[in-house]
Formats: sequence, structure tokens, C-alpha cells
Amino acid sequence: MSSHKNISIVERRRLCEKKYKKHNLANILTHWFNVGMWALLLPTGIAIISSPRLGLSPVWMQELFRNMFGGAANLIKFHYTLGFIWGFVLIFNILVGFRKYFVPFAVKRMLLDKDDIEWLNTKPLQMLGMMKDKTLPPQDAYNAGQKLYMYVVILGTLGIMVSGPIMAFRTIFPPLLKQIAQPLHWVSVFAIVAGVIIHVYMGAIFPEEKEAFFSMFGGKVSAWYARAHHEKWYWEKMQEEMDWEEEVARQIQESSKSRPSSAHSQPST
Amino acid sequence: MPNSLSRRDFLKVGGAALGALTVSKFVPPRVADAARTLGVLDPNGDGYIPTMCEMCVWRCGVLAKVEEGRVVKLEGNPDHPNSKGKLCARGQSGLMNTYDPDRVLTPLIRVGQRGEGKFRKASWDEALDIVSTNMLKIKEQYGAQAMIFSSTHNLSQVQFENLLYAFGSPNYGTQRSLCFNAMVTAFSLTYGIEEPSRDYTNVKYILLTGRNLLEAISTSETSNLMDAVARGAKLVVLDPRFTKTASKATEWLPIRPGTDLAFILAMINVIVTEKLGDCEFTARYAVGCDKLPNHVSFYTPEWAAKKTGLQADSIRRIAREFAAAMPDSLAHPGWRTSNFINSFQTERAIATLNAIVGNIFEPGGCLNAESPEASGINLGKPTQPAYPRLSSLRLDGVPWKYPLVPLKLGVFQELRDAVLTGQPYQAHGWFIARQNPVLSLPDRQKTLEAFGKMDFIVTIDIIMNDSAWFSDVVLPESSYLERYDPLTPVGSKVFIRQPVIEPQGEAKSALWIYKQLGQRLGLGDFFQYQDEEDYIRQQLAPLGYSLDEVRLHGYVEPPAMQKSQEITFNTPSGKVEIYSETLANAGYPALPTWEEPPSPGADQFYLLTGKVGQHTQFGTQNNQLLHKYEDYPRLWMNPEAAEKLSLKDWELVEVTSEVGSVKVPVQVTPAIRADCVYLTPGYGHLSKGLRTAYGDGVSDSELHVTYVDPVSGGQALSQTFVMVKKA
Amino acid sequence: MADKKRYGFVIDVSRCIDCRACQVACSVENSVPLNHTRIWIHDQGVQGTFPELSRIFIPYNCMHCEHPPCIEVCVSGATYKDPDNGLVLVDQEACIGCGFCVEACPYDARYLNEKRGVVDKCNGCIQRVEIGQKPACVATCLGGSRLFGDLNDPGSDASIALKNAKSVFRLDVEGKNIDTDPNIYFVNAPESLTSLVTSDAFKQQGKAVPRAPEYTISEEGWKKVLIPAIAAGIGASFLVQATYFTKQLIEGEKEFDE
Repeated sequence: MSSHKNISIVERRRLCEKKYKKHNLANILTHWFNVGMWALLLPTGIAIISSPRLGLSPVWMQELFRNMFGGAANLIKFHYTLGFIWGFVLIFNILVGFRKYFVPFAVKRMLLDKDDIEWLNTKPLQMLGMMKDKTLPPQDAYNAGQKLYMYVVILGTLGIMVSGPIMAFRTIFPPLLKQIAQPLHWVSVFAIVAGVIIHVYMGAIFPEEKEAFFSMFGGKVSAWYARAHHEKWYWEKMQEEMDWEEEVARQIQESSKSRPSSAHSQPST
Repeated sequence: MPNSLSRRDFLKVGGAALGALTVSKFVPPRVADAARTLGVLDPNGDGYIPTMCEMCVWRCGVLAKVEEGRVVKLEGNPDHPNSKGKLCARGQSGLMNTYDPDRVLTPLIRVGQRGEGKFRKASWDEALDIVSTNMLKIKEQYGAQAMIFSSTHNLSQVQFENLLYAFGSPNYGTQRSLCFNAMVTAFSLTYGIEEPSRDYTNVKYILLTGRNLLEAISTSETSNLMDAVARGAKLVVLDPRFTKTASKATEWLPIRPGTDLAFILAMINVIVTEKLGDCEFTARYAVGCDKLPNHVSFYTPEWAAKKTGLQADSIRRIAREFAAAMPDSLAHPGWRTSNFINSFQTERAIATLNAIVGNIFEPGGCLNAESPEASGINLGKPTQPAYPRLSSLRLDGVPWKYPLVPLKLGVFQELRDAVLTGQPYQAHGWFIARQNPVLSLPDRQKTLEAFGKMDFIVTIDIIMNDSAWFSDVVLPESSYLERYDPLTPVGSKVFIRQPVIEPQGEAKSALWIYKQLGQRLGLGDFFQYQDEEDYIRQQLAPLGYSLDEVRLHGYVEPPAMQKSQEITFNTPSGKVEIYSETLANAGYPALPTWEEPPSPGADQFYLLTGKVGQHTQFGTQNNQLLHKYEDYPRLWMNPEAAEKLSLKDWELVEVTSEVGSVKVPVQVTPAIRADCVYLTPGYGHLSKGLRTAYGDGVSDSELHVTYVDPVSGGQALSQTFVMVKKA
Repeated sequence: MADKKRYGFVIDVSRCIDCRACQVACSVENSVPLNHTRIWIHDQGVQGTFPELSRIFIPYNCMHCEHPPCIEVCVSGATYKDPDNGLVLVDQEACIGCGFCVEACPYDARYLNEKRGVVDKCNGCIQRVEIGQKPACVATCLGGSRLFGDLNDPGSDASIALKNAKSVFRLDVEGKNIDTDPNIYFVNAPESLTSLVTSDAFKQQGKAVPRAPEYTISEEGWKKVLIPAIAAGIGASFLVQATYFTKQLIEGEKEFDE
């Protein structure tokens, strides 16, 4: 983060105005779809768990939801119906873009490298006020913390998607699987919840990430933000831009070669 | 579930069978329409139809719950005196009997060898034609008497007998000689009725000789006994086994098999010697009471103690207690009394014992000498021409070999033996209706041999029972929940059995089968009814009720007839015949007399038989609900005896009698005398068409030796002695 | 409280003859599969030495306890104690058939119906009781052993039988710390029976009845491992964001960030 401290104000202003596309429409819709479904699934899910021995949800909440939905059975049916819709849409989206989008994304953006490990060793200590003078290594489009969060979400989501149908299709699966599915479902959900606490804070409340928040609507972040927080991605974008400029120049050259020279032809800008 | 859970395979037949109990929607059938019009079923086709059970001979009234054309539950009819609102395990399982996946639902014609179980389906026309053709062929070639008819007594018996008599055969076999001949003959001679009814309302002292009422269940009588015991009545049980009845008894005496007679005679001795009975009162109603003191003087408790293996003091004390409770004391007449050849005398002694304490002379007393069937209700019946005269001797020796056996009872095992000997003539055909002689007759090998001598065997049954398995033609009767049967008077009411659901497949009622067969045999004139409903209307005619009236509640109660206060007995003298002239004339002891029963040799055991509360003889082992809750049938043996033979619980043993041998796991239990072993009958089915029952347990019919009591014709089932060793 | 019913059974042990009519009737009435049962009849076997013998039968089913261990572990809320009549019932629409409750019941009164994927057990034949009939087992009991009724109503025949009983015991054993407060009262049993119960001789398929509630590995793991772990995880997350947030509030927000 400190390498950008030497940039002039003029340059900074230019970079602030320049926008890069971080999230495409599919990302954005899927994300908010997820948020919306979780907003329904999480409270209903919590309201379903009625084991007094585990004590995982308040009785008033269980009763409130049961009354709202007309009974425990209806509440459960609502929950897993939503769950199936959620799961179906997510899986559909992933499968549709699997080869063209998901695989490259996983390979490019999700794997931890040396910088990430160093970041992970340094950042938590910096948060506690230690190692103030150490510069954090440059991060990619998603920093190491965000990558870890991705793992939690993916594993958790898989856990949810495997355990959910086991409980919903009760005549197909044997009791032992159903017994394991319950804690698996719960731990998957709440591992994600633990991650979400930080994710929401970082994304929506932490001032430095304000642009990140709005990028989840518009899809874009400023080049300055990129330079400051996701330096490696910034350079990647720069490279893309330069490549693009080269390509355009080449195309112009080629097209002017192939055409007969004319007094009326204008150089393209 | 019994402790033997782990050793059973409950899923022999897949769960599909119980799927039969789930409700399914289809077009409401004919019977339901009629019941709806009558108001018994609501517009949806749901409701309760009253009918009668047939899972045993007690025939409790049943309210069958119907939903969308299927029977879903059976309840006891509170208005029926035999059920009073309850049903035993067998009654409750009755719908599984109807929905048994192994039901025979079309007529079957044998195509392989007898016993292979290869049959082809046929239409009723074809099957009935084959049956009548074969029966007529036998009649023509050998005479009508060459055709044997046998059945287990049931509600359509009257038309079975109609067919028998119309055909002209004298040869009729029934289960009675394997069951209660001793009791019926003895009580007919003594009281003039087959079986006195029991009333436990005020009873204070009950003596059971065997009569395992809590396992050989007769619903209302079993309940009444428990009520009496709970009320404080004293129950004394004489039984070589510690049965469930014995476990509720105030006193259980492990009496030596065959010596109940000695016990009762000694009781009579004490009562008569100590003048505990009221001989003056008795003399008004009984003949021969005065001859008793001299006759029984030899039968002291000390003498009886030696015979029975019990204490003389106990015998004396019980006799005094029994007399002290009079007239509210009851010596139970028994039920299946086919134990020893001396069982006839035992029954005579019991009849005498009851008479000398006067309990049968009390109106509303514990014992009623009015036949349960003699309710004074006269049902109508179809007219018919006179039966052809019977000229040939009966193969079962009645009455030319057994002069005192009532014709109605016969001697079934003798009939079977006559088939083998061919004396006095050879039988060639066998018509079996709802009976399983392969398992019920002693010495199964002989029965199968007798089958081998038949040119033609036809069986009417609802399931491929063992006798059907060996038959040439099987005709499917509809189960009791699917048919009408002739009306039955019970007490002051007349009950109906009516269809609760449409018969499944091609199954038809016995009334229909007998008429169809009769017509094809040229005997149509003897079956003067159009159909089952017409038959019942003819029965109702003298009473003035319509069929609908009976069907609505399952019974009608005609106004009670004035009964005379005088107690009379249907005997030659009009009194209770403690001394029977009839017996004397036939050359038998006129008073109840001791007969020494045989004893097993040094290495032998008495082979006892008995009943369990979850099954009815040989017919219910395939019922999956009963199979679920039964105990695996093992050979009971006392620990002392087991130790001598080095046997451990559940070990496989070989049991051998003089006619056969079986292999069965042993059950080491103190609940039996050391000189006895016990096998639950009804298992060891040979028919592979009984997919649930096949392979379970062994049949004691393989072991039983045929012994016939010359007086009553009763089989002596407990006189077979066996040797046991590790298999 | 006087208005609330407390349905329970009173079983006269001296009158049970082990005819099993109750078991068959229940199986039919409630479509119990062939490989399961809702009612058990305990038979300790013939006691004593010949000829001093005794034998007693103890029929039992779900005890509809006041403190049911099954409700403690039910995750989906399918098992509940009916507030109006006190019966412990299973809403089979809500049941997922995991079987936690089957292990927890000290009487092994519950079973898993494999075909339907749900748990089943005695429901007091509430479908019959509602229309004025007795439970199937009670209606058909030949020995007159089974009684069912509102134990809070002193006029019900069950309450009266309880009052007049010569002896009363329940399968609720101090020595084993099993405090379910069951609603099946066994009356008129011989004294020898209570020792039978506490001696572990009363077994059903090898397991003592009653036994302490058992918990499956997954349920125990959930309670003892996963919940603390997640609590720690969420606690840590919260701390992280709390730290940042506090810092943010203290330091204030800068419009123009470095």
C-alpha cells in the first residue's frame, strides 16, 4: 500500500477518475441473489433448529416463525424450497460459465501465492498495532483475506448443498447420513456467517473499501483504488491497456496499408 | 416382539404386503354401494360394517372399518356376546388374512405331480366341470360312498352337509374327533347337550383341567375369566405345563399327563364321602348319585396322589374348597379333550363333579346345561327333496365299530386309515372344504399316503394350505370379510356374516360353490336358493325380518320365547345321567371309572400339544401380522431333563416317535414337567405357496401316533411318546 | 392447570396375559411396518424353580413423559408435547427421520420407518381418542389390563384404577438417574418386580429398559465440538471487525485517503 504514496496529486486525480471493470453483471446479480436468499434462509433456518439440548435458537423465534408459516412442517418446507431454488440458480450460473469463466477465475484469482502468505502473516499483527513499519506485499484482484473468505464460502456452500437435500429427501437417504447432515449443514452455514461478519464490515463499513462496496452495484472501481489495494491487478490492467493500445495501433496500420491512399482518408484516433 | 427377534427373518415377504393396507382410490364396488344405500357407509364409502370373525370357532362379532373400499381396521362388536367389543390378536389380524398376498384368487388345476405345487389358472366353469365330472365318474364306477367329504365345521356347514347327503355318500370327516369328541360324547350322555355354557358372573372357584383359556383364547370367556380372577375368584389349574393360564392361577398343579381323571375321581370321593355335596337335591335332577359313594370309594386322594404325582393333602383340600364354594364353583368341561383314551372318562367325571355340587341346576349359575345353540330361535331353510338312502357302511366305523360316537362327530382318523386299508371298501375321491388334514390328522405320512390312493382330490380354501398343495383342483373361497354365510343364532340374537368388501379375484362364497357344484352333479334340486341373499331371506322368513334389517346392525333380536322354569335334560331319563344306562348297555362302565393311561418308557417323554394365543391351529401361520408377533416354535423341555441329555437352550434336537421324526431347536424351560416335552402345533407347513409360513418350525403331525378312543372316537394326541437327542 | 389434560396409561400388570392383541391392533390401526412395533410386551420369562414358578408380562409403549428426552434432541421441532392433552407426538411432516430421538428415548419406544423416512411411535391413538374411541390397544385388551385416560381428571377410569391399586411403580429409576416422569403407571405388580427393573434384568433386545438417553456421535459432536468451534470463530470474526470499527470511529474518517 505504501508504493503508491509517491504518486503526484495530478496523477492521483487522473487515476481516481479512470475506472476499471471489476465485476461483471453475472457476478453482481449472483452476489445479490445470494444475499437476498440468505436473508430468508438464515432466519428461517435458525428458527427451525429446536433442540433444547443444543440451544441454538431462542424459543420465541421458533414460535414466531412457526406461527408465521403455520407450523413447523410448513416452515421447513418453505426453507428447503427456497434452498432448492437458491442451490439451483447458483449451480446453474456456475455451470453455464464453468469453462469460460469459473475455471480461469479459480486459477487466476483464487490461489494463494507467496505474497498472499506474507500478507496473511503480516496483516493480523498490523491490525493489533504491531509491525507498523512493514510494508504489506502487493495483492491481486482479491487480497489474501478475501481469498480465504472465498474458500470458506465455497466449502460452506458445498456443505450446505450436500447436506440440505439429504435432509429434504428423507425417504432416500439413510438415517446415519441424515444425522451427519444436520451438524454439517449448521456448521457450513455458521462458518460462512463468521466470514460474513468480516466481509460485510470490510465491504460496507470500512471506509477504505467504499469503492469496493459500490463496485458491487456498478461493477467498476477507480484505477487509484486498484493501485492502492490490489496492485498486482492494477498492473495487469495496465498491461491490458497497453496491449490494447498496441493492438489498436497495429490495426490502424494494417487497415491503412490495405486501403488505396486517398486525400479524403482521415487518420483514426 | 419376542426375545427371539434376532433369529427371525421378518422380511421374508417384502413390505409390499403391508402396502395392501394403505388406502387406494378406485371405483366403489357393488357391496359398498349396497351398504351406502343402507346407511351403514357414508356417502364417501367410509364407515363400519358389522359382520362376524372366522379366525377361530368362537366367531366374535366384528365391526369392520371400511375406507374407500378397503378394510382398514377390525373392532369387536360390543353387541355380540362372544366379543363384547374386543378381538384377540387373530381377530385383529383378520384383514391380513383377506389381503394375504398368497391368497388363491382363481380356480387352480394341477399340472405337475401332486405336491409339486404346479397349477394352472382356470375359469370357474372349467374347474367346476372338472370337479363334477370326476366326482360323477367315481360315483358311477365305485358308488357315491367312494367319495369322502371332509370339512372343519363352520357356518356354511349346513350346505356342505346338504351336498354330502344329496350326493349320497355316508363318508364325512370333520376335525371333531381330533378335538372335542371326548367332551361332546361324555356331556351328551350325561347332560344331554354337547357342551354346557359357562357363566363367570358370580363364580368363586374355578377348576381348569388343561383348558388354557389365556392362550386357547375364546375372547369373551378369556376376558370373563380374567375379570373373575381379578374379582377374587380362586383359580386352580391342572396342567403338566406352566401355561400363561397357570401363571394367573391361584394354584397350579403340575399333574402327570393322563391322570386328570384320578384327580377328579378323588375330588368326587372326598365330596361324596364327607357329604359335602347335596345328594338329596342332586337326586331330583340326576340319576346315579346314590351309586357314587360305593363306586368312588377306591378313589381316595392318597390313591390319586400316586397316580397324579401330586400331594394327597392338596387334592383333599381342593375338593373341600370346591364344594364349599358351591353352587358358585365351576369345573370347566374343557375344550379340546383329545388327550388320552381315558379322556372320555375324565369328561364324564367332570360332568359328574359339577352335578354333585349342583352348579348346573341353578338358573343363572356357572354352568348352563342349555346348549348355547338351543336358543329357541327357529330359522327357516330352503325346501328340498328327500335325500337318497345310504346303504353302505361309513368308512370311519360309526356306528358299526364305534356305536356311541354321534354320527355328526365321526372318527376322522379312522376314515383316513380306512382309505389306506381299503376296508370295508376303497375310497377314491376326497372333497375337502376349509380343512387341512395333512397337518391336523396324526401321522402325516399316512395322510399323504392316503392322498396317494385318491383318484381325485378337490379342496376349497382361501390360501394354498398344505392340503390344497396336494390337491388336483383348488377352488378359491372368498374370505370371511368378503362373503355371506348362513345366519347364526347366538344367545337371544341372530347374527349375520356379510361381505365388507367385494371378493378379490374370482373368489366366491361357499354357498355359491356348493350350489354350482350341486347343479353340475345333477343335484340342483337340493339347492333351492338363488344366491346368498336369497338363502338368508329364506332363513329370516319365519322371524319376519328383512335382510336389510339384519345387515344394518349385524343382528336382530327376536322377542324372547317363554322358557319353562323347569330344568330338563335331553337324556333318555330326562335327568343328568351320572349313571348312564346307555353306556352300560353298550358294555362300558356306567359310572365314571378309572382307566390307567399309558406311560412313557425310561428314555421317553410325553409329547404334549396345546395352543398359543397368536395362532389358530394350522391355518394362520401365513398371516404376516401374526407371524410378526409369534414366538418361534421350539420344543419345551425341563432343565433337569435337558441336563441329562446335555442340551442347551436353542440347540437343535431330533425328536423321534414310532412313526416319524423331526428336528427342532429346544427351549429349556422350567415351565414343564421333567417327563414331558411340548411342541406348538401348526408349523412345519409343506406348502411352498405359504411364503411366510413355509420353512418355519416342524409339524407334530409327523410324530403323532393314531390312537382312537373306542367310546367317543376321540384321538389321543398326548399318548405319543418320543425320544429326544441332539440332532 | 386443571383444564389441561394429562393423557397416560395405567396398566394392571396382574391382568396382562400376553395375548398380543394390543400389538396387532396397534399395528393395523397405525400402519406399523412388519419389522417394527409401537408396543412391546416385556416377558422376563418363567421365574423360580419347578414347581414354584411365576411369570409376569409388562406391556409398554411410549410413556408420554413429562420430561421427554426425545423432545430435548429433536432438531426440526417435529416431536412435541401437545399442550392440550400431554401426549408426546411426532409431526411426521416436519420429521426428517434422522433418529436422534430414537437413541435418546430411555424406553426405546421409537422407531424409524425406513420407507417413509420418518420416526414413529405410540401417539395415544389420538385419532381415535378425538372421536370418543379408546386407543386400539386399550379397546381390545382381553385381560382388561390396559387403561388410558386423563390422569388429571380424578373421575377417569385410569385415575380411579390408580387410586385403588395395591401397588404402583413406574419405569423411572432413581438409581439410574432417569427422571423422565413417565405417564405409564404399572399397578398391582408383585413386589419382586421392582427389583427386576432396577437390576438391569429388564432388557429389550439386549438393552436395559429404562436406560439413560443415548446420543449419536453426530449429535454429541455437534454439541461438544462444532458449537464451541463456531462460537469461537464467530467470536473471533466479531472481534476483528469490532477492532477495526473501533479504530475507525476513534480515528475518524478521512475524505481524502492517503
